[in-house]
Order: sequence, then C-alpha cells, then structure tokens
Amino acid sequence: MAKVIGRAAATEKIPTTIDEFYFWTDKEKILNPFDVIKAKHIQDSYTFGVVEEISHITDAPSYLSSYISSDFGDVSYIANTQRVGLNFVKAKVIGNTKGIYTPVLDGSEVSLGDEKEVQKALGLDEVKNPLACGYLEMYEAKDKIRLPVFLNSDFLLGPEGAHLNISGISGLAAKTSYGMFLIKAVQQRYLQRDIPKNESVAFVLFNIKGRDLLAIDELNDELSENDKGLYRDLKLDDKPFQNVTYFYPYDKDDSTNTYAKKTDVAAQIDADKAFKYKYLYEEDKDCMELFFSNIDDPQETMSSIINLILNGEANFGGIRSWGDFVEEVKSYTEKNAAGRDKSISVLSWRKFLRIIKKSLTNPIFAKRVDPKKNETRLREHITQKIKKDDVYVIDIAKLDEDMQAFVFGDVVNSIYEMKLGQVGDREPDEIPSKIVIFVDELNKYASGDVPKNSPILRKIIEITERGRSLGLILFSAEQFKSAIHDRVKGNCSTHAYGRTNAIEVSKNDYRYLPPVYKGMMTRLPQGEYIIQNPVLRSLLNIKFPNPVYKQYKNG
Amino acid sequence: MNDILRFIAETTGGTYYKSFRYSFEGVEVPTVVYDDNRIIIMSPDKIGETDKTIRASKSVENLANNIMRGGKPPLFKFFLDGTRRTYKIDDISYGERIYPIIAGQILVGCCKRSQPDMFKSSLLETQIVLVLPDCADKDDKKTLFFNSLADKINNLSVIKKRGVSFQKVLSYPDKELKEGEKYENKGIARIQDEMVEAEKRMVVQLVKEKKLNNRSYLIKDGSIEYKKMGSDDYRDLSAIKSNYRCVVGVSKEFNPELFKDKRHKTLAKRIAELPLFHRTQAFKYTNERAPGVEFCIWYLRIRSTERTVGLFDGVIKVEKILVSDEEQEKGLDSDEIDLISANLVNERNPTCYGLDTRWANHLYPVYLTEKYIKSNYISEIQFLNLF
Repeated sequence: MAKVIGRAAATEKIPTTIDEFYFWTDKEKILNPFDVIKAKHIQDSYTFGVVEEISHITDAPSYLSSYISSDFGDVSYIANTQRVGLNFVKAKVIGNTKGIYTPVLDGSEVSLGDEKEVQKALGLDEVKNPLACGYLEMYEAKDKIRLPVFLNSDFLLGPEGAHLNISGISGLAAKTSYGMFLIKAVQQRYLQRDIPKNESVAFVLFNIKGRDLLAIDELNDELSENDKGLYRDLKLDDKPFQNVTYFYPYDKDDSTNTYAKKTDVAAQIDADKAFKYKYLYEEDKDCMELFFSNIDDPQETMSSIINLILNGEANFGGIRSWGDFVEEVKSYTEKNAAGRDKSISVLSWRKFLRIIKKSLTNPIFAKRVDPKKNETRLREHITQKIKKDDVYVIDIAKLDEDMQAFVFGDVVNSIYEMKLGQVGDREPDEIPSKIVIFVDELNKYASGDVPKNSPILRKIIEITERGRSLGLILFSAEQFKSAIHDRVKGNCSTHAYGRTNAIEVSKNDYRYLPPVYKGMMTRLPQGEYIIQNPVLRSLLNIKFPNPVYKQYKNG
Repeated sequence: MNDILRFIAETTGGTYYKSFRYSFEGVEVPTVVYDDNRIIIMSPDKIGETDKTIRASKSVENLANNIMRGGKPPLFKFFLDGTRRTYKIDDISYGERIYPIIAGQILVGCCKRSQPDMFKSSLLETQIVLVLPDCADKDDKKTLFFNSLADKINNLSVIKKRGVSFQKVLSYPDKELKEGEKYENKGIARIQDEMVEAEKRMVVQLVKEKKLNNRSYLIKDGSIEYKKMGSDDYRDLSAIKSNYRCVVGVSKEFNPELFKDKRHKTLAKRIAELPLFHRTQAFKYTNERAPGVEFCIWYLRIRSTERTVGLFDGVIKVEKILVSDEEQEKGLDSDEIDLISANLVNERNPTCYGLDTRWANHLYPVYLTEKYIKSNYISEIQFLNLF
C-alpha cells in the first residue's frame, strides 16, 4: 500500500473537476511538476494526476498579518509556534484505472505511484513500435523512480504523425545532442530490423557548429558507466553511428570551408567515408534561386533574371562555368549593354550580381569534380547513392549564412525530388522508405520573417505538410520556437522544449502551458526536455544520456 | 420526515409541531458566561502570590527574552478549548404547556505543540445532545429515562442511516418562568454545562496520561472558574484541584470594572495602562459557584497600546487554581506567576490579525485549537436535517 501523502480537497470556490483536482500535502513534502500521483476514487479505482502547480498557503489573510506576527517587523523574531501552513497541489487528471472520470472526491487519499502505475498513468506501458526518447525521474529520496520512455515511432516517423521540433537556447538546451540521441535510437531500431518489412531509413544531417557532427562514427571515450547503464535501460547500445558518410565543402587547402582538421578529413577520405562537394554551373545552375532565399522580391525582378538565365536566353545558353556566368552578368550591369532584355533594368542586374558574386567566390563553385579525389556533387550523390541505414553528414558550419541556405536548400530539394521519383533512375526499392533530415537553426530557413517567396521556406513547408506520406521526416531545432513559421511548427507531431528564457515563454506558442511549466522551461537543467507527443497523455519531463559519439571539447 | 421528533413525541406522550428549526448562533440569546460577574476586591489579605511587594505592575519582559534567547522550550505544550452550537429543533407540548426542544453539538478538543512546526490534535470529544424539558420524563425516572430515550433514538433507522448518534438526552427545568426567562436559555445552559463537563474530563484524561507536568503546561481558553460540580462526578475536591496544577486559564475578554481596590474604586484604568509585558499583582479569590476552590488571578499586557485599538486590547486575564494548602495560604509562587506570564508573552506571535477581531488578545495556539475544533462541526444544514 502506497504511503498517503495528502488528501484531495474540493471547496466551493475551487471544486475538483473531470480535468483536475487539488490536494493538500505536508509543507515539507517534496513534489515536482510532472510528478504522477494517484487519488483513491470510487469503485476501488484510482485516478492518476500529473502535478501542475504547487502552492504554499498559511492562514495569514494578508502580508500585514505576517508583518504583525513578526512583532511588527522584527526580522529576528522567532515565534514559539509556526503559522499553520500547508502545500496544496494542483493535479491534472490523466487517467483512471477503471475509466471513471467523475471528479475526485473531497478527502480522497492521495499517494505516489510505483513504477508500473506511473507507466500506465502516462500511457507508457503498452507502446507499439517503441522508440527510446529518454528517461524520466520522479519523486525524491527513497521514493525516487526512474523510467525509460518509449514513444510510438509511428507518431514520430510516420505514418501516424511525423516531424520533430526541438527548441531551446544555445548550449544549455543541448538540442543537437538530443536530436542525435533520437536519431541513434531510430538507426539502431532499423539496424536491428525491429520494424515492419519494406521499411528502411536513412539520415541526412547538417553540421552547423564547429566539429559537432564530424566524428559521429567514432566512440565517445568519455562516456561514463552511468550513461552506459542508461543506454542499456533504454535498450540501446553505446556504439556510435554506423554507415556514416561525411560531405565537406570543397576548398583547395582543406581549411577555408570547414572546421575539421585536415588530417581528420584526409583519414576519412582514405577510409572512403568522406567526400568534398562542389557545385558545377552546368548541372547546378537550377539551384540559382536558392541564392535569393532571404531576398524580398516583390516585383519578381530577380525571378525574371533567373528564368532568363535558366531558359538560356540572351547569351546565357552556352555558358559552362560560374566564372563565365559572372562575367556575362557583369556585362548586363552596364548601361546600354548589347542584347539586354529591356524589361529588366540595369539596377536589377546590378542587384542580382551583387547577391551572387559574394557566394560564387567560394571554391565549392567549381568547373568539374574529380571522383578520384572523392569530389562529388551533393545532389548527384544523394539522389544516386543514399541507401538504407546511411547517415550523411553535410558540413556547412564554416560557410556563410547565404551559402548554408544554398546547400541546405539544394539538399532538401534533391531529397524531395528523389522521393517524388523526379530524378535519377533508381528502383523505388533502393531508395530508403524514410529519410530523416536533421537541421539545427531552422529559424534561418523557416522563420516567420523569411520572405514568403523563399524557395527554401516553400520546400520546408511542403516537407512538413506532405513529407509524411513521402517518407520525408524533418528533425529540426532552433533557439526560439516562436520565430518559426506557423505552418512548419504546426505540422510537427513531436515537440521537445529545452531550456529557454522568460521572454520566449511569454509568446503565444506557450500560451497553452500552465504557468509552472513555463517557469520550469526557464530553469531546465542542461539535457532535460519537456516532450509533447500525440500519444502521450501529458507533457513529459525527460532526460537523456550523453552522446555515444566523439565529443570535441573545443567545438 | 421528522422521524426523531415523531418518536420523541410518541415516547414521551407529547405533541410536536414541526415548527421552524434554526440555529441559536444567528440569534441573540443570553449566554452563560463564566467570567467576571462579581466584584473582586484587591486588598492586602487577598494578594494571590508570595511576593507581596509588587505595587502597580511588574515587567516580565527580561524573563520572556531570556527564555526565548536561551532556547528553552516553551512552558505551554497543550491547548484546550470547548465550543458548542445550539439549535431550536421544534416545540413539543405536554398537557397545556409548550416547551422548546433544543439540540446541540458539543466539541471539546486539545492540541499539542511539540515543536514550533508540529502542532497536532491530541484529543477530541464530540457530542450531539438533545435537551427536553424535565416533564418529558412523565414517570420522573430522570437520568434512567433520558439515557434509555437516547438509546432508542440511536436505534432509529434514520439515525443509523446518517451515521450519527446522540450521546445524551438531557433535560432542563420546566419550572414556571420568571420574568425575562426563557426555556430556550435553560436548554442552552444545560448544553453549556455539558461542554464544561467535557472540558473537565479532558483535563483529567491529560493528567491521567501524565501529559501535564512542570515542563508541559496546558492553556485552557477562557476561565477555569467552573461552577459547582454535580453529584455524579469529581467529588474529591483536592483531587480535582490537583488536576489543575499545570493548567492556566487565559481569557481574552473580561470586565475590568469588576476589579476594584479596597476602597471599591475600579482598577480598570490601572489595567488599561499596564505597560507592555507587565503584569498586575496576582490576587486570590473564591467563587460561590465553586466552593472550596481558591483562584489566583492577574492581568498581563502582551501587546502595546500603540498597536491596538481598544484600551484593553492586548491585555489578557490569567487564572490558576491554588492547589496546595500552602498556595492557598501564601498565594501562588511569584516566580511561577512570572514564568507563566513570560511564557504567555512569548506566545503573542504569530497573531490571527485579519482573521479574528480579538487578535490582540488571542494566543495563536489557542486560536488554532479553536479552529481545529470548529472544523469538526457538522454543518448546520446537515444537522438541522437530521430532524
């Protein structure tokens, strides 16, 4: 029999309802938001609730009473009797053992649950297609319990629901680590073939910070025994990622475009698990509109120029290199240029040149690739070679923001078109049925401020709205969820909220949360998340172990 | 409906009327107050303490501070209070006369404070009683009849169904009323007596359980000037007195006009002007309601006049029974009076400011005890609908 920690209280002003109840408990009893408690209910049933708010009250009707009780403001005064006080707790109803949802009755005994009860209460006991998403800890001291949390992968990777969004401030939220933890869980599940037939998955990850994801197939030597134990509890091994291929932006000296060490890149190339990607004019000029992702183009003059170029009009038909292309554009920026379409002003051409010129100086815009030196075109490589269980890591960390957007947009377009069967001649069975794209700093591509005509935004919206049926799953992360386009975040079935700040939680996105949870979000320790998923009966406060792959201390 | 009343009428041979039921709490009725109702003359031969030299007042502030700073545990560990609610249930006629039927809830409880944050209920006695006129007992069997009637009422299905029971059926005198008297008041007085008896029983129980000693005193809310005991209980006066060796009665309300000097001049001004944390000299007196018992009484100011509204706000009346022959002869040891007073001063906080208009005179543990006891009342609607 569980120890009774309090009793439900229903008052005139604050009754218990189908959705919530209140109970009092000793003022020194430590409970936390998200703790599951059970209240004895009718017909020998138990109603489970999740702690939402804890308040401490005394019989003092005002602060004045308190002041007077300290001998009119004597701060050193200690009374013989402490003022009578108690904690009262608001609990949100999440279930009843017999499906009885009438309000909890006044005076009902309230106690802590055991592991099985908590699992059942939270709907974690009979999860189909279980996918580890972390563990939760509940209660204090000797009552403390730890439970692995598994989500139904159908609600994360489709077909029931798809897409994950992780938010939290930089560093403290450990967004990349959590995204990678989930990807690790997915990969292991698929490697173990613990999945329906004909299902397969591949991953395309973008490394956007230092060397974060540039050694994910190498062991984390510093993984503690405790972390290893946690992985075991979550039915995961502590091995790093498998079938990893790295893609570095090409440059001549191996240091201009990447934070990776030359020797590391060379070793990976020697092991045939790394490539350097380039963009060639003839094959990749179609991506040109990606240069203008963040450019407002209300008059569509930039679009007109791009159309003109892609149609091979004017003198653009025979161009084969980026250099020639730039020269050609330059010629249109001079007054009275021969052959210039008069409907496009010189000023527009000058604007066009200004935008592309900066990016095209990057060595990844080259004339040709040398396959012997593991040089490749991203679009070609992805659409032709990605296969099940592959993890493609595309390094864009050292590229400037416009270039990052360009590469990201190109990769997303390639995958989308591949899944639609518009590129290449691969048999459908060869293409992984699901491709997970993981990108941090989603706000750069899909924030509410991005121009509506942005091709990347359009594609991201398409993926989040229709990608589920194509098997395209977006795992995204950003610092501030409120900045993300409504249609993008609205289509994510799973949300992970990490540590954020008070300004962020005051935004509309967090309006549905109880104030205590909002407050918690501003205090969440590193590596703790509040998870929202359609199959969960309540938000969950979960933790996850340190990454299994090599961590670079200095980025 | 009205099963109990019908049963009472049938059993006692009366006629009931289904008249309006109400609680006396909302109606102004004279209550029986066991407080100052006679003049106490302060004179040298009536000094109630060993130190006869105290004149106007004596400060206990230093002693109180020393106790507090020295970390000594408080003297008072137990707090006792009694309360009752009375209800007019119906009228019943016997012959040509009509009498009210009174019912009451009596609650007496005691709380214990073992630590500053450990305030728990220790004892609670709840009673539901009915009061009928003496003439309801037509054969004049007195207690036997009324006890038997209580048993029969408790066996009624309506009572069993509600999960309550009547502890006693009492009776009030049905003598002809004098001018200004009401049968209702006689019934209420009977319930008040029963409450006082319950309070006394509780003190006895605490003593029997050896909970009261010179390090563990009891504060009884209100006066301890109980009237003469009935013939049924506690006849041994010295034993009764010894039960009160560690019991102090503290009254929030008193009539200062009744405290007079030997020239019959009121000492109200002197009480009103008591400096903060000062006590008056203690005096002893006897009460005709409790023959053979001598009381020691003094006043103590626990709150400054600057912080209160009324003149007597912040002044409490303290009573203690003089137990031994020596005490009766020489008065209570002044050191004990000082110790009690200093500990009472230390009980002044927290306050129930904002919750009770008598906050300046209230002691918080007593207030909590009162709250606890009252929280055990059956609601008025529920109670009246028993009938």
